[in-house]
Amino acid sequence: MKDNDSFNATLAAATCALLGSTVAAPVAAQAEDGGWSFDSTLLYYGESDNRVRDISAAVSTLRDFGDERKLSGTLTADTLTGASASGAIALNRPQTFTSPSGRAVYTTPADEVPLDDTFLDTRFALNASWTQPLARLYTVSAGVGFSTEYDYTHIGANLSLARDFNKRNTTVNAGVAWSQDDVDPVGGRPTALSQMLDVGDNSNKRDGSESKDVLDLLLGFTQVLNRTTVLRVNYSYSDSSGYLNDPYKLLSVVDPVTGDTLARVPIGQGPNGVYLFESRPDARTKQSLYAEVKHSFGAPVMHFSYRYMTDDWGIDSHTGEVRLRWPLGDGYIEPQLRYYTQSAADFYRASLANGTALPRYASADFRLGDFDATTIGVKYGHGTTTGNEWSIRAEYYQQNGSVPGEQIIGNQADREQYPDLSAVIVQFGYRFRL
Amino acid sequence: MNKMPICLVLLALTGCATVQPWERDVLARPEMSLDNAPLEAAIDDHIYFSKEASSGGRGFGGGGCGCN
Amino acid sequence: MQRPRIGTVAIHRLLLCFVLVCAVLSAAASDAPDPLDLASLRGKVVLLDFWASWCEPCRQSFPWLNEMQAKYADRGLVIIGVNVDRERAQADRFLYDVPAHFRVVYDPAGTLASRYDLPGMPVSYVIGPNGEVVQRHVGFRAALRAEREAELQKLLEKTQ
Repeated sequence: MKDNDSFNATLAAATCALLGSTVAAPVAAQAEDGGWSFDSTLLYYGESDNRVRDISAAVSTLRDFGDERKLSGTLTADTLTGASASGAIALNRPQTFTSPSGRAVYTTPADEVPLDDTFLDTRFALNASWTQPLARLYTVSAGVGFSTEYDYTHIGANLSLARDFNKRNTTVNAGVAWSQDDVDPVGGRPTALSQMLDVGDNSNKRDGSESKDVLDLLLGFTQVLNRTTVLRVNYSYSDSSGYLNDPYKLLSVVDPVTGDTLARVPIGQGPNGVYLFESRPDARTKQSLYAEVKHSFGAPVMHFSYRYMTDDWGIDSHTGEVRLRWPLGDGYIEPQLRYYTQSAADFYRASLANGTALPRYASADFRLGDFDATTIGVKYGHGTTTGNEWSIRAEYYQQNGSVPGEQIIGNQADREQYPDLSAVIVQFGYRFRL
Repeated sequence: MNKMPICLVLLALTGCATVQPWERDVLARPEMSLDNAPLEAAIDDHIYFSKEASSGGRGFGGGGCGCN
Repeated sequence: MQRPRIGTVAIHRLLLCFVLVCAVLSAAASDAPDPLDLASLRGKVVLLDFWASWCEPCRQSFPWLNEMQAKYADRGLVIIGVNVDRERAQADRFLYDVPAHFRVVYDPAGTLASRYDLPGMPVSYVIGPNGEVVQRHVGFRAALRAEREAELQKLLEKTQ
């Protein structure tokens, strides 16, 4: 059974990789001509309350062909298990849902936020890119990406050009990335805002895959401010179109006075409440402005970044991150802090009140809601005598959301309204050269 | 979002004191590179994109030793 | 049309002063002591290469510079590597990994680097037998080694 965190996550990894975050960087100490340098990582991500658990392993390699020509590739594998909030709200009695396959039911105990049916999903992703100078001050980079999992495939390509000015104190770069994703939901794609039906009834589901295209544009500017400080500012524009729904997310239809989910009697096995599949627009335009600074205070290095994002779904977000790297013996210690806040999408609804006309778009997906998230962590890295480096990182992520007052109806006020999230992340890394 | 002040700031920055090519010793250190942990950055972006509505923003190029 | 008459004469005087000051300063510069003592190398072809321990392409350039120095020393090629590291220890560590079989001069304060106003790193200045800079190479590219060697050979013919 699928958790569609991976649905969006696959795109994310692809998009980010597409826009060069895995390219053109020193991996271990610069690979000598003819050498391969590797960066490998093993990550564990675990949410509290038996929600999502993810174990992922990635290997990235960089081969320097001399004269600034580089080939890099990354292979990622991850295994996702568990479930996240489905969008249905908590109720004072157990709730039963039909699983995405349409062949079984699963139950949520009373007073708990309903989670998707538990699943197991394995994803593989491969990215490769080539970088070379075009002329002394020009660098071009091109890349491709591919990923696959049970219900989702992605392919993409990207191209960027950078030009240095002012004795390489200033760099301007422009990039474009394009991707096409295909989703083939388990059990078929449900009609938007249709009701969840009994086991065996697939009349509101359509077989076959849906596609989604994304175009990303990036304009970046890097400026050396002084001998110890460098600044980067990026403007990004992203346009997605196609199937943007999460085919597994629901909304509860509730009594307009009590706020309790409407009861339903299944024929045989099926949902014991009225739940509708979500509906999102088939287009989304995002813009973001990102700035980061690295400053050296002698041996310690501080990194600060800020990103503002706004889109035509009504979501605005701010992300601030700070890291401070302190040398410690043969290694370093790097505490990190991240703060994120976003406003809800225009069509975010905690639940739908019975009797009110159905809106065109509605989603109760917590990822489109109003929340703050904080990450606090520390990384320790150590160089070996052979020039390799290992590192370990531990982080704690906490997400706290809220539902706008006017969307809380009746008894909902006494229950958990927003599925707050907390997770632990542990990562091991090893960089080496062959 | 008023973009004018941002453009002005960017223009002003280009007039910043130039760091001469022989003074790039600190900037050449790997930990001063803006892209010194690309795999970690990609993994973080992957995690956050699957839990939040925003993504990416990072690009590449610039800073460093400014060699060649 | 009335044009402000302030200082047509004053402007001419200012310009004259400016030109004189520039002349004096440039004269002073060329009279400044030369740590490289290039004057004594007239008649030879000098390859002046600015390098630093933190400059990755310098690692690739040293084997080639060593090769050139060995091959053409008896035909009058003198390679001088000018190090711009602020800390001598860093330069020494680099030289331990990548030895230099040519003369090395240290410029930790960047005085020489400023005088030549290096456009990048590494930079090589090819100075002909008459003491004039013939060519300047910014950066080191393995693909250009043959071309640069040919350029040196052509200049070395003039010293014979």
